Amino acid sequence: MTASPPDLLPEGLADRLPGEAALLTQAMRRALDVLASHSYARVRPPLIEFEHSLAQRMAGLSPQRMFRFVDPQSLMTLALRADMTPQVGRIAATSLAAAPRPLRLSYAGEVAVIRADQLDPARQRLQLGAELIGADTVAAAGEIALLAVEAAEAAGARGITVDFTLPDLVDHLAAEGVPAGDLAAIRRELDAKDAGGLAVAGGEEWAPLLHAVGPFDAALARLRAWERAHLLASRLDGLAAIAERIGARARLTLDATERHGFEYQSWFGFTLYAANIGGALGRGGTYRIGGSDEAATGFSLYLDPLVDTLGAEDQAEAVHTLFLPLGHDPAIAARLRAIGWCTVAALDESDNPARLGCTHRLAGGEPVAV
Amino acid sequence: MTRAVPLTFAVPKGRILDEALPVMAKAGIVPESAFSEPASRSLTFPTTRVDMRLIRVRAFDVATFVAHGAAQAGIVGSDVIEEFDYSDLYAPVDLGIGRCRLSVAEQEAGAASIDRASHVRVATKYPAITRRHFAARGIQAECVKLNGAMEIAPALGLAGRIVDLVSSGRTLAENGLVETDRVLDVTARLVVNRAALKTDPRVGAIVEAFRAATAEPA
Repeated sequence: MTASPPDLLPEGLADRLPGEAALLTQAMRRALDVLASHSYARVRPPLIEFEHSLAQRMAGLSPQRMFRFVDPQSLMTLALRADMTPQVGRIAATSLAAAPRPLRLSYAGEVAVIRADQLDPARQRLQLGAELIGADTVAAAGEIALLAVEAAEAAGARGITVDFTLPDLVDHLAAEGVPAGDLAAIRRELDAKDAGGLAVAGGEEWAPLLHAVGPFDAALARLRAWERAHLLASRLDGLAAIAERIGARARLTLDATERHGFEYQSWFGFTLYAANIGGALGRGGTYRIGGSDEAATGFSLYLDPLVDTLGAEDQAEAVHTLFLPLGHDPAIAARLRAIGWCTVAALDESDNPARLGCTHRLAGGEPVAV
Repeated sequence: MTRAVPLTFAVPKGRILDEALPVMAKAGIVPESAFSEPASRSLTFPTTRVDMRLIRVRAFDVATFVAHGAAQAGIVGSDVIEEFDYSDLYAPVDLGIGRCRLSVAEQEAGAASIDRASHVRVATKYPAITRRHFAARGIQAECVKLNGAMEIAPALGLAGRIVDLVSSGRTLAENGLVETDRVLDVTARLVVNRAALKTDPRVGAIVEAFRAATAEPA
């Protein structure tokens, strides 16, 4: 039997060492500041909850993807959160059920899944987001989409693309009478943008939706030109209004049949992409909170991939580190810290300012460059 | 913003490629001459477009490169797309080339010596598709993953059946196998990476070019 090295971390889990940890913390803080400035009040739900309570509000994520175990106290199944949105939904439906609507809440914390995605080996991620509870109107969707862009910008994302989608489009059109033989197959092929597969599934009628993909204005025009577009008029007008609100702050695209990550959203959804990041940076949309069936709009960002793209220029204001020799005046040191210096106090005579990464040393009550 | 980065277009080695080159040419993707030199051991090739290069890899790897975004677009059979079922792989254009089918085959005498009613052993390059196909019929398929020459597996008792690509059926016949069920009709597809399609207008342009190239009569 081969013994596993005791200090190996399990697959998909990693330490963030000082440089990266500082960048990630800074990205999170700046994004949270944006949310706070729009009066989204931070909530901090626990890491672990009863599985049934998480599961009933997370239609998008299978409970099988959560770490689960039995609670020795209650003998019920507990789960480690894989998504914080259902927790915020629970808070809105319980503790804050009587709070005035619309209710603006924000959150940030680690989430974990038991098995990683096909393409991303990470099993733990930092999730940050905001939920506007009690509204899923065009105005609410516009506020959330713009807020997501602003938070992503503040976190350091560059070259942001917002990809709009209409998550319940296929169900809506099928309900309005667009012929759909095998609806599940049509939904799958539209999702995969598989023109050949769509024809096999008997969904030729739906093919124009595959072409309504790309830069927002052009794709919207193509969608409006579709003979079935009258069934979508209010949705398309809503999209146009949201797009106008974001304006030139981000590149806008439309993919009406995108379903990835939109299993529980209703009429509106969006995905956020940023330059030099392979996958999505975040997503959001309108939905109904499981259980209470209250309307809500929200978004989540996953900031970890940003760290690799944040360079020196995004580093927190160039840090000046001041070496405090033995016997320095603690009052002076405290005053300098108060105006932004970081200090490193000597522990013994042999401490060397340069080796400790200090840019300055305290001499005669003043910082002197090392 | 991403304009400076060259696009990478992945094509599979082998049979599909000969049929794919004319379609690619219609869509404006023409490899430089080094591509057709049989002696060339290169894996990447320049094209007549300065901002695009080709890579030539195994069919299964085309899907992997594109799904991970290492290549933005490529050409691969629908068999490979179905096998991986990558959520980040879009197949927006059916190129109508490389036609064949993925089928179940067994020895003329049947597979009874190995298989039972609810459990079969299958030699295949496509374990995911095979499991799904049999699961839909309430049968647990135990897959023996082989990378080639599945046809000899039944005769040697490795597996009762095989699931493999069939075009003429000659290889099956020569190995004493008969086709018993058709799993999937296969054609080559243009595939693109989802995030690349959303963020890089050039990828959308490639999709449009291939759509136009396949729309006009051959």
